[in-house]
Amino acid sequence: MRNSLKVFRNSVIFLCTLFLLNGCSSPDTNKSKNEPAEQKTSQTTDTVVLQQMQFIPAAVNAKIGDTIVWINKDLVDHDVTADSGKAFYSDTLHVGKIWKMAVTDSGSYHCSIHPTMKGKIVIK
Amino acid sequence: MKIFNFFTKAALCFAVSTSFLSLSADAQKANKLTDPEIASVAVTANQIDIDYAKIAEKKSKNADVIKFAQTMAKDHQSVIDQAVALATKLGVTPKTNATTKSFLAGAAKTRAMLNSKKGKAFDKAYIDNEVAYHKAAINEVENVLVPDATNAELKSLLQSALPLFKTHLAHAEMVQKQFSK
Repeated sequence: MRNSLKVFRNSVIFLCTLFLLNGCSSPDTNKSKNEPAEQKTSQTTDTVVLQQMQFIPAAVNAKIGDTIVWINKDLVDHDVTADSGKAFYSDTLHVGKIWKMAVTDSGSYHCSIHPTMKGKIVIK
Repeated sequence: MKIFNFFTKAALCFAVSTSFLSLSADAQKANKLTDPEIASVAVTANQIDIDYAKIAEKKSKNADVIKFAQTMAKDHQSVIDQAVALATKLGVTPKTNATTKSFLAGAAKTRAMLNSKKGKAFDKAYIDNEVAYHKAAINEVENVLVPDATNAELKSLLQSALPLFKTHLAHAEMVQKQFSK
């Protein structure tokens, strides 16, 4: 009887230990498996075309670290200027030229030459 | 006899109405601008706004008005450059016509009016004229130049200039608000 109880107690301890080990280790295992893949696909490049006096698309959904490329395919020069402070400014973007920037934050922007042209960066 | 009179009158009415219709069509055909004439109107209209902008850059002290004028001078020069490049490529020589002459006559009067004003009165007159001028230009491009243009590249250039003129109009109306207070 004592032996049976001892075997039962040891079995319970063993199973609990297994459960705890599994519970603690599996998320880490998944994380380490997923991390490199996420890094590979997470940094993407979005393109905004300046055409017909518009930023197309007007809103870009991006992640921190993504790159946004602006291409001026319009008849005239433009620029890309953050609405608030000096967050970013492309300088004059001549016809046919491109400008790119790594995303660090969400925010609205406009063309300071044509202030009715507006765009937006939205963090996913 | 009555029946004969009826048919005679009906035939006469038909003849008059058809000749009126054909006259009208002929008149429309005669008024239709050719591609060299369209090129002339386009270049002239853009040059007129550059000339207004140069007056504003010289006379205004208002930062918003000066910035708007600088944009007009630069953008309209860009359109002229592209229109001239296309005309050269197509072997089209811009041809002066009644529309061009009418634009130039109106522009001379407007320049005289602008030159006679100073200070805030000048700024208001310049911006009010820019709003009216761009409205007229948009109407001309949409309803005359684009429909009349026969060359596909010329038509395309005119169509792609429309959003630019509409943006200029919105910008002018934005600046105009500060003078309506």
